[in-house]
Amino acid sequence: MGGTFGSVGTALSALRYHQSVMDVASGNIANVSTAGYSRRRVVGEAVGAPAVPALWSRYEGYGDGVRVGSLDRVVDPLLDARSRREHGAQSYLDTRAAVLSRIETALGEPAGEGVSSALTDFTKAWHDLANAPDSAAARSQVLAAANTVADALSLQRRNVEGEEADLRMSLLADLGEVNALASDLARTNEAISSARLAGTDASTLLDSRDALALRLAELTGGTATANPAGGMDVTVGGVPLVVGKQAGQLGLAGGVNPDGTADGGPVALTVTPPGGAATAVTGLRGEVGATADLLTTTLPGQRAALTTFAQELADAVNAAHQGGYDANGAAGQPLLGVDPAAPGGPLVVLVTDPQQLAASGIGGAANRDGGNASALAAALAGPTASYQRAVTVFGTDVASARRVADNQRTLTSQVDGAREQLAGVSIDEEMVTMMQAQRAYEAAARVMTTLDSVLDTLINRTGVTR
Amino acid sequence: MNVGRVTQSMLTDRSLSSLQGSLGRLAEIQEHLSTGRLINRPSDDPSGTASAMRLRASLGAEQQHARNAEDGVGWLNTIDTTLQGVGDQLRRARDLATQGGNGALGQTSLDALAAEIDQLREGLLSAANTTYLGRPVFGGTTAGDAAYSQTAGVVTHVGDGNPVNRTVAAGVTVDVALAGPRAFGADGDNVFDHLAALSQALRAGDAAGVAAGLDALTADSGRVATALADVGARTNRVELAATRAADAELALTNALAEIENADLPRTMVELQMQEVAYQAALGATARVLQPSLLDFLR
Repeated sequence: MGGTFGSVGTALSALRYHQSVMDVASGNIANVSTAGYSRRRVVGEAVGAPAVPALWSRYEGYGDGVRVGSLDRVVDPLLDARSRREHGAQSYLDTRAAVLSRIETALGEPAGEGVSSALTDFTKAWHDLANAPDSAAARSQVLAAANTVADALSLQRRNVEGEEADLRMSLLADLGEVNALASDLARTNEAISSARLAGTDASTLLDSRDALALRLAELTGGTATANPAGGMDVTVGGVPLVVGKQAGQLGLAGGVNPDGTADGGPVALTVTPPGGAATAVTGLRGEVGATADLLTTTLPGQRAALTTFAQELADAVNAAHQGGYDANGAAGQPLLGVDPAAPGGPLVVLVTDPQQLAASGIGGAANRDGGNASALAAALAGPTASYQRAVTVFGTDVASARRVADNQRTLTSQVDGAREQLAGVSIDEEMVTMMQAQRAYEAAARVMTTLDSVLDTLINRTGVTR
Repeated sequence: MNVGRVTQSMLTDRSLSSLQGSLGRLAEIQEHLSTGRLINRPSDDPSGTASAMRLRASLGAEQQHARNAEDGVGWLNTIDTTLQGVGDQLRRARDLATQGGNGALGQTSLDALAAEIDQLREGLLSAANTTYLGRPVFGGTTAGDAAYSQTAGVVTHVGDGNPVNRTVAAGVTVDVALAGPRAFGADGDNVFDHLAALSQALRAGDAAGVAAGLDALTADSGRVATALADVGARTNRVELAATRAADAELALTNALAEIENADLPRTMVELQMQEVAYQAALGATARVLQPSLLDFLR
C-alpha cells in the first residue's frame, strides 16, 4: 500500500515516461532522412516491488508506475557486418569495372578508328604499292599508314598510362582518407567507452561508429568487430588498423612516390598496427584494393599485351620486308621496331625514306616488281587476327567485370534493404507511437486531476457536514 | 522480395534506383538509335565484336581485291587493244609481202612496198612500247620506260620476263602483263627482224627472201593471236574475280549490318516501351511517396 500521494508519483512517472517516448519519436522523425541513422525505441518497464525482499519491511504497493527501461538502437550487428562486407566487394568491383570500361571505350573498336582500322588501311596501302611499285605517292602512303598504326597503338598505351596516373593519385587520396577515418574511429571508440562509463546515451556515437566502419570497409574491405567497450576494431588485410582508442596507419611501401608518380616497382601496401611494425598486406578489397590490383596486375598487363602485339606485328612485317628489295634493288631493312619506352612507342617506324620500302621481290637492280608488297599485305593477316582476338578477350573481361558488379549491386542493395527494413525510420510508425504516447500522457494527466479531486475531498471536505 | 517492415526512405531509395535503372535502359536504347549500332564497344557483345571485326577486315580485303582487279583489267585491256592493233598491222604487212612476192611489180613499186613495211615496223615498235600508267606493258617489271629499244637497226627486248601479279582474291594472283617476246618473238628472231629482212628482200627484188619473210610473218601473226587468246582468258579471270569481290563486298556489308546495326523499327518500339516503363515508374513514385498517416490525422 503506497502513501497518500503514491498514485501521484505513479501518474508522474507515466507523464515522464511518455514525455521521453515523445522525445524519442520526435528525434526519430527529425532524422528520418539522415544517412546511417538507426531508429531508437524506448523500452518501458513497470516499476514494481523491489527485487530483493526485505525482512522487516514489506512492500505493500501495487506497482509504482513506469520508467524508461532502456533506449534501444534497433540494429542487427550481423546485418551490419554483412553490409560492410558487401559494400567492400561492391566498391572493389565498381572501381574495376569503371576503369576497364574507360580503357575499352578508348579502344575505338569495332566501328571506330582504332588499331584494326589502321591495320586494314596498312594492308590496303601495301596492296596499292604492289599495284604501283614505282609510284612515290603509293610509297608515301604505306609509310603514312605504318605511322597511323604506330599512333593508334601509342594512343592506347598513353591512355592506359593516363589511367594509371589517375589511379595513383586516387590511391594516395584514398590512403589519406583511410587514415583520417581510422583516427576518427579511434576517437569515436574512446568517446563511446566514456559515454558508457558515464551512463549517457551513446546512440549517436554508435551511429557514427558504424558509418565510419562502413566507409572504411568501402575503401579497404577491412573487417570490423565490436569490442567489449562498445567501440569497433578494424582489421585490414589481417592486420589490425584500429584497436580500441588507438589507430594505426595504412601506407605504401613502394609503387607510388608521394607526388603521385610511379617508382617502377609494384604497389606494396602496408598496415602499421597501433604500436606495431609495418606489415605488408595483400588481397585488400574496396577502392584501395581495386586500385592496387589495377596498378599491379591489370593495367601493366594491358601495356605488356600492347607491347607483345607490337612485337608480333613488327616480327611479321620485318620478316616479310627483309625478304624483299627496295626501290634501288637493295635488300629490305627492318621496317618496324618495338620500344615501349619511346614517346610514340611501343611501335616505332624505322624507315623514313619511302624509297627504302621493299616492295619488290626481285633483287639486284631497280625494278617495278610488287611481289613483296603483296606478300607483306598477306603477312599482316596474322597480326590482324591476333589483335581481333585480343580485343574480343578484353571485351569479354570488361563485360564480365560489369556483370559481376551488377550482380553484386543487386546483393548489396538487398542487404541494404534488409538493414533499412530493420533500422529505418517509418513516419507512420512514429506517428502511431506519438499518438499512443499523447493519449497515455493525457490519461496520466487525467489520473492526476482525479487524484487531485480525491485529495480535495479528503483534505477540504472531510468532516464538513454542512 | 521479403519485406517485413517498410519505411519511407526504403520507398524513396527503391523508387530512385528503379528510376535510375529505367533511365539507364532508356539511355542504352538512345545510344543504339543515335549511333545506329547495337555494338558500340567490345563488351556490348564480345562474340559479335569478334565477328564484326573479322567482317570489317574481310570487307577491307574484298574492296582491295576489287581495286586490284580493276587495275589488272586496265593492264590487260591495254595489252589486248595493243595486240589487236599489232595483228592488224601484221596482216597489212603480209598483204604487202604477198603483193611483192607475186613478181608482177616493178622495182619502184617494190621500193614503195618496202617503205610501207618500214613504216609498219616503226608502228609496231611504238606499239611494243605501249605503256599503262607510265609502265611499258610488255616490259615486265623493268625499271626503264621502254620494253623494246632499237640499236643500229636491231630491235631487242630490254624489259624482263617477270610477271606483274595482281592479287584478285585471297591467295589468288593473276599475271596481268605479257612479256614482249611472247607477242613479238624472241630477240634475234622477232617480228622486227622479220620486217627488216622483208623490207631488204623487197628492195633487193629477192623473191625467195620475200616468200621466207611472208612465212615468218604468218608465224608472227599466229603468235600474236595466241597471245591475244591468253590475254583474253586472263581478262575473263580478272573480271570474274572483280565481280566476285563486289558480290562478296555486298554480302559482307549485309552480314556486318546484321550483326552490328540496330534494327530501327524494333529499337523504336523498344524505346517506346522503355518510355512507358519510365513514365509508369515516375507515376508510381509520385503516388507512393505522397501519402503518409499524417494526411489522415486531423
